[in-house]
Amino acid sequence: MTGARAPQATEAAPRIDLGPSITEFAGRQAPFYVSRFRLLLSARKRTWTLNRAALLFGPLWAAARGLWGFFWLFAILELFALVQVGRGLWGDLGAPKRAEAERLQAKSDQIAADAEAALSRGESGAAALRESAANLARAAENAFLEAGAAAAGATTLLIVGLVLLVLFRLLEGLRADRVYERQYSRWRSDRRVPSGFSFSRLAAGLALAAIMFPATLYRFTVSQPAEWLRTVPISRTYHTGAANLLDRWFDRAAEAGAGVFDGITAGTEAVLDTIEAVLAGAPWPVIVLFLLLAAWRLAGVRVAIFTGAALAYIGLLGFWEKSMLTLALVGSAAVFCVLIGIPVGIWCARSRRAYAVARPVLDLMQTMPAFVYLIPIIAFFGTGKVPGILATIIFSLPPVIRLTALGLTQVPASVVEAARAFGATRWQLLRGVELPLATPAIMTGVNQTILMCLSMVVIASLIGAKGLGQEVLIALQYVAKGQGILAGLAILCCAMILDRIVQGHFKRPDDGA
Amino acid sequence: MNDIVIELEGVWKIFGERAGEAMAAVKAEGLAKSEVLERFGAVVGIADVSFNVRRGEIFCIMGLSGSGKSTLVRHLNRLIEPTAGVIKLLGQDVMSLAESELRAMRAQKIGMVFQHMALLPHRSVRDNVAYPLEIRGEPKGRRWDVSQHTLSLVGLDGFEDRFPRELSGGMQQRVGLARALASDPDVLLMDEPFSALDPLIRRQLQNQFMALSEQLHKTTLFITHDLDEAIRLGTRIAIMKDGRIVQIGTPEEIVTDPADDYVRDFVQDISKLKLVFAHTIMEPLESYRAAAGEAKDLSESPRAPEDSDLDRLVDVSITTPHPIVITGAGGRDVGVVTKDRLLRGIQGGK
Repeated sequence: MTGARAPQATEAAPRIDLGPSITEFAGRQAPFYVSRFRLLLSARKRTWTLNRAALLFGPLWAAARGLWGFFWLFAILELFALVQVGRGLWGDLGAPKRAEAERLQAKSDQIAADAEAALSRGESGAAALRESAANLARAAENAFLEAGAAAAGATTLLIVGLVLLVLFRLLEGLRADRVYERQYSRWRSDRRVPSGFSFSRLAAGLALAAIMFPATLYRFTVSQPAEWLRTVPISRTYHTGAANLLDRWFDRAAEAGAGVFDGITAGTEAVLDTIEAVLAGAPWPVIVLFLLLAAWRLAGVRVAIFTGAALAYIGLLGFWEKSMLTLALVGSAAVFCVLIGIPVGIWCARSRRAYAVARPVLDLMQTMPAFVYLIPIIAFFGTGKVPGILATIIFSLPPVIRLTALGLTQVPASVVEAARAFGATRWQLLRGVELPLATPAIMTGVNQTILMCLSMVVIASLIGAKGLGQEVLIALQYVAKGQGILAGLAILCCAMILDRIVQGHFKRPDDGA
Repeated sequence: MNDIVIELEGVWKIFGERAGEAMAAVKAEGLAKSEVLERFGAVVGIADVSFNVRRGEIFCIMGLSGSGKSTLVRHLNRLIEPTAGVIKLLGQDVMSLAESELRAMRAQKIGMVFQHMALLPHRSVRDNVAYPLEIRGEPKGRRWDVSQHTLSLVGLDGFEDRFPRELSGGMQQRVGLARALASDPDVLLMDEPFSALDPLIRRQLQNQFMALSEQLHKTTLFITHDLDEAIRLGTRIAIMKDGRIVQIGTPEEIVTDPADDYVRDFVQDISKLKLVFAHTIMEPLESYRAAAGEAKDLSESPRAPEDSDLDRLVDVSITTPHPIVITGAGGRDVGVVTKDRLLRGIQGGK
């Protein structure tokens, strides 16, 4: 490629004649492009060629040749340069400052008049009034000066704009052949790539330019453009109407589904209360011992030591009870996430259509700010722990579903085929082959879900869930920095204990055995 | 007819959304492959394949990639459904089986070995081998007994508790073979089982497989893209091209009498020494006498039986200046192989 001597064999390679294919590609002006492409293809160093058509017609040349990327890039750049030229030529650059100056001047005149009147009446405040009138007059004068300076900048702007315009055109002329040659290379392997010179594309380019250029120039160069150009023509009434409609819909749904919502509340509460009773009710030494043993046996000594330190932090700083409430909340949310998420994930992996439906919903659940769905949740479930859990579930469910589906679809087809060849039923296939092979992915999903649950505790506490989140919330309300950071660290400790134990457990089989 | 285990009759497979229409058009108008693709956007995978496999036979299907051989073998256990045709296994029409009957047949009658082993990475070698039995619901003790036994058949004693990833490719494929044998199936389907292995290991496994099949007499459908392998292993060979079977025959028939230029191309580099036998190249005694004269004395010529291969005849021929007399049943002289004939035979000419 570079200047180094090429070996004999490649020197001897006969040159292929690209002439006919370049001619077919270029259409109009074919001989010109044949020679240009040959030049570019044989150049060892960077070669600059000037395409006069591109230099003269700029984006329109690109449009006619079907180089739409080139067209848009340079159309916008040229428009930018033209706007500067337009502002330099016709723009009233001093207008805002002058308006301000006039306003100040008017005010000064008025106060001066007041001062004169006060003086003639012999009032005591007259001197002060006259003083402030003089101040305002000075400010107005300054503004006038600035307006003048801005107006004087017009010439600079005009020159900058013109220089830019010329530079851009020159750049277009110099880049054109190279870009067109690249288009040719792509066209060789994909005949759908635009080729040749087309009048219809030229017309499209002209039409686009005819819409963009005058309107934009007008908008930026005239100091008071027409109102319809500046504001998007949408009425405020749509917004209110839609919001009202949704309001009514929520009210009606809350009324109609009261039984269902109460049932969900009762079920969730039962699970939560059980977990809470165990965690908060059991004596703390038992829980500490259990967590330490679990960490040690499932994830190793290092995790156990870390767990001990984290528990010590929680206990010594008085966060024990609140942490247990938080763990109960997070634990039950995570349990629900897994119970719902894994079957839905399996379903999504099985059915393309189910996944197509589920994907936008999952995106919505993950990206919609939590506050938005807190509102309907409050409407349906009131406030307290249960709606807190439900909000947490909505936010934390997607990773389990996604990663379960991903894990299942990534099971090698050959292994699945083998299991089928030996007569496995769908259930045997799922249990004996697919789920075990998807386990690492599923566990990553579960782990993510647990961490996302923990990140929701503060938001959940907004609607009445107790625990560490509430602590942070209170600290936030009173701007108690120290308290907030301590509680935040406690949440972090909970998160890391759970994360390390769960992750450590499922990483180990690979190291051992 | 009783000892025919696999029976295929006019089997077609056309891939594509409009496979049904394409099939009807093919039957009505006899379209070529390219026409089917053009008119229906459908790809012909298998075109009108018929053959029988007898009990205990190793039936090799040889073809290059894309010839449809792997697709074909998957029709036997309906991993792929045919578009048309009849497939019978052990006298039973496979297409008429209900879902559960099909699963029972897969679990009991058929063992399958795959090109890429397809072992379950999360199970030990023992549990991999026992997987077909587990599907059948056999108790754990029996599963362990059987897997131990089949693993010793393939020479993998002592590896029961290892995991597949700890084994070399050749050993993994032996696990695959043990798994296929574990359910003691009537039919073995082997889809290019040795193709992914390096040549030395491949040769070893071929030998082991031959020894094993002498012992077990499993009816085997063996898919390969390697004619040498097909000739080494096959009782009979079917050569496939573009979804059709071009020729079916014993290795000797394929090598000495290729059906068309395509097959001839394949066999021209194959050594005939072990494949061609005396009765194929000998000149019958009568015509030899007619040409050389009654007086020609053959009493000093060595004798060789008619099922000697060319390799053997070469050994005999270099010890004597005389032509070799070939003996048939009961030691009777039936033909003569001169040196010229022998050399032509080695060349593969007639």
